Amino acid sequence: MRNFIILFLFLLAPAIYAQDISFVSKASKNNLGINERLRIDFTMNQNGDNFSPPDFSDFRVIGGPNQSVSNSWVNGKKNFSKTYTYFLSPQKKGLLKIGQATVEIDGEVYKTIPIEINVSDAVDKPRDPNSPEYLIDENLHLVTEISNNQPYLNQGITVLYKLYFKSPLQISDARESDSPKFKDFWNHQIKIPQLKVERGNYKGVDYNLVVWRKTVLYPQKTGELILDPLTLNLMIDIPSKRTDFFGNRVYEQSSRSISSGKKSISVKELPKTGKPSNFSGAVGKFDFNVSLDKDALKASESFQIRVKASGLGNLKLFNLPKIVVPKTLEVYEPERKEKIKMILKGMQGTVEDNYTIVPKYKGKYPISPVSFSYFDPESNKYFTLNSQPLVVDVYEGPISSNNPGMNISKAGSERNILNTDETFRFIKLEPKFELISKETFWGSKVFYFLLTVPFLVLLLLYIIWKNKIKKSSDIENIKQREANKLSRKFLGEAKRKLGDKSNFYNSLELALYNYLKARLKIKTSDYSKEKIKEVLKRKKISDQEINVFIQVIKNCEIARFSPTTNVKMKKDFDQALMIMASIDKKI
Amino acid sequence: MRHITSFLLLFYSLFSFSSQGLEEIFQKANDAYNEGLYEEAISLYDQIIEKGQHDSSIYFNLGNSYYKLNNVAQSIYYLEKAKSLSPKDDDILINLAFARNMTIDSIDPLPKSDLLKVRESLFDLFSLAQWSFIIILFSWITVIFFALYLFNSKPSNKKTYFSLSLLFMAFLIFSFSISFLKSSIEKDVINGIIFSKKIEIWAEPNFRSENLYSLHEGTKVQLLETLQDWKKIKIANGAEGWTKDAVIKNLN
Repeated sequence: MRNFIILFLFLLAPAIYAQDISFVSKASKNNLGINERLRIDFTMNQNGDNFSPPDFSDFRVIGGPNQSVSNSWVNGKKNFSKTYTYFLSPQKKGLLKIGQATVEIDGEVYKTIPIEINVSDAVDKPRDPNSPEYLIDENLHLVTEISNNQPYLNQGITVLYKLYFKSPLQISDARESDSPKFKDFWNHQIKIPQLKVERGNYKGVDYNLVVWRKTVLYPQKTGELILDPLTLNLMIDIPSKRTDFFGNRVYEQSSRSISSGKKSISVKELPKTGKPSNFSGAVGKFDFNVSLDKDALKASESFQIRVKASGLGNLKLFNLPKIVVPKTLEVYEPERKEKIKMILKGMQGTVEDNYTIVPKYKGKYPISPVSFSYFDPESNKYFTLNSQPLVVDVYEGPISSNNPGMNISKAGSERNILNTDETFRFIKLEPKFELISKETFWGSKVFYFLLTVPFLVLLLLYIIWKNKIKKSSDIENIKQREANKLSRKFLGEAKRKLGDKSNFYNSLELALYNYLKARLKIKTSDYSKEKIKEVLKRKKISDQEINVFIQVIKNCEIARFSPTTNVKMKKDFDQALMIMASIDKKI
Repeated sequence: MRHITSFLLLFYSLFSFSSQGLEEIFQKANDAYNEGLYEEAISLYDQIIEKGQHDSSIYFNLGNSYYKLNNVAQSIYYLEKAKSLSPKDDDILINLAFARNMTIDSIDPLPKSDLLKVRESLFDLFSLAQWSFIIILFSWITVIFFALYLFNSKPSNKKTYFSLSLLFMAFLIFSFSISFLKSSIEKDVINGIIFSKKIEIWAEPNFRSENLYSLHEGTKVQLLETLQDWKKIKIANGAEGWTKDAVIKNLN
């Protein structure tokens, strides 16, 4: 019977063997950061040969393979396990695959299931269970200290990178392996001449601390901005468990990279309310002034206007306001001068624009006040500073007369320059006041009245004169007509009385006198022969005709007292007719 | 009793002040100017103008006072006013040149053709009132000579008088047409001085149009037309444009 049981047991044994063979792989974690480490175990419950690990091409094998075998008997049951352990460090980010490992157990090949490992960005605190690592984790910290997590745009902030460590760690060397690039910031690193170990407190525990890096940042963009971590490579002395001959602990040196975590800063926009129109981005606390190096000079000398802002703030990052001066001044491009010290709070010092100006003409030149605005993040308000109005007096030089309608320089009116010795004239002392709302003389009724009056007077005078002439000529005409009539009447009578000597000559004489009266306007009282001659001469009658006329008159006078013939009478009559006709033609 | 006397004194001083001669105020203002009390001088000069009296010298003195106070626009405004009353006064022209030096804008005037220069010098020869007197003088002379022609019987004298009257008639027509043109120009051209610190000039009377240039206080502009709040202006170099909300004080 006992033999049978043993036999049964022997028969049973292979069946147990065949049922329970397993070969599995197990990773310590499936998600990890790139700076973390991973342990992977391949475990089998039967002893196998020819173990071949999978391809760890995406990883670096830090330790392993370590082999461990355990045998145990529990309640008569034998438990066997054999484990191959690898420590891996991922070499790249992403979904990494650990392939199949194979092992040969009892002539059969067993494979593990592939494992997928998700490798993400570096994590802040790589966890690692190994004790030196743990020791380091506990006693060494790289901390980013930001002075203000919510600054305004262009408000200066300080970022300090502090390395905290405490015993039993000692740091023998440190190098920066990855420096943060401050994208979207204006940055300035404050030099630390020598690293100093100070005492500090981190999370309630005393540490030694070293300020590794001081940086002043001025955010140039609003919104969520990320500060890249700083990574340091440290050589750390860790006490090991071993002691030396004298009982002192032996320190082991270990290299370790430590990274400050990513930090985000949310940058606020400057408030829109109350933003001055001339705001040019200055944030901080400033003083502002505009000054002249001299305020009285000669033309063609030069002077300087200094526009200066001083204080604490983003001095390098804004433009100073431009000055406004009369165009007749020649202004050169400003020269910018900066005297800036970087301190932990930011930039401190002065910036100034120096304008060199050359006046060409004599006169006073006002420099308009310039206003400068800045935002003070401490009081959350905008401030505007105004400079004093300044005046430059150019006391010697030519005067500009560059203006329309100005003709002082009479000779050569193209010239724009007056005599050099002209000065600003004194006020006038002799006023001649008149009413402001005086009607202009031009176009007034008085003007037109005065303009037309002479012509009216002239017209009036002319009319009066014409009338007078007409009247006087009328009187004369009547007289002449009467004389003419009488002349003809007496002439007819003389013709009738031809032969009647005394009557004939009487009539003829009267006819002649009346003719003279009518034609020559000789009055009866002027009937002397000299007067007649003179009048006829004035009328440009020829002497011969005058003589004939006088002769006829003489004949008339003579014939009254002397004998005469009919023939002579006829001849005198004809002569009288003829001479009257010829004088008629002449007049 | 004391109150009454002081009241009477005050009343008397007020009364005497109001009846004070303009010349006396003027004299006081001049004294203030000479002592450097320019604000006081200005207020005294203004009193005279408020009484409805003016003179080129009072505007000149006002302009000088504002110049001393570095008030560019006011200074130019009053000096221009003084110039319009006596256009050929050297003192006014020289001080106006000094005042214009203070302006920020410097505008080169358009070059003038010779014909325009001749015309302007003719126009500026006399003021409109003087021209009017000249016209009337000419009209009388013309009439006198014509009358002499009419009433003279000597043919040789008649001829000279007639041609003389024709000559003066020509003078009369010439001076009348000059005055007519001058008055029409003076009526049409409205000039002003910019009192705003800075004004923007636009191509059209709206803000969508192109911003052409900007002008500063003290610059003389010609006002052309207006559309709602917009004013069309022209400056000495011939450039035109529209501006809004500008303080421009009329010279006329």
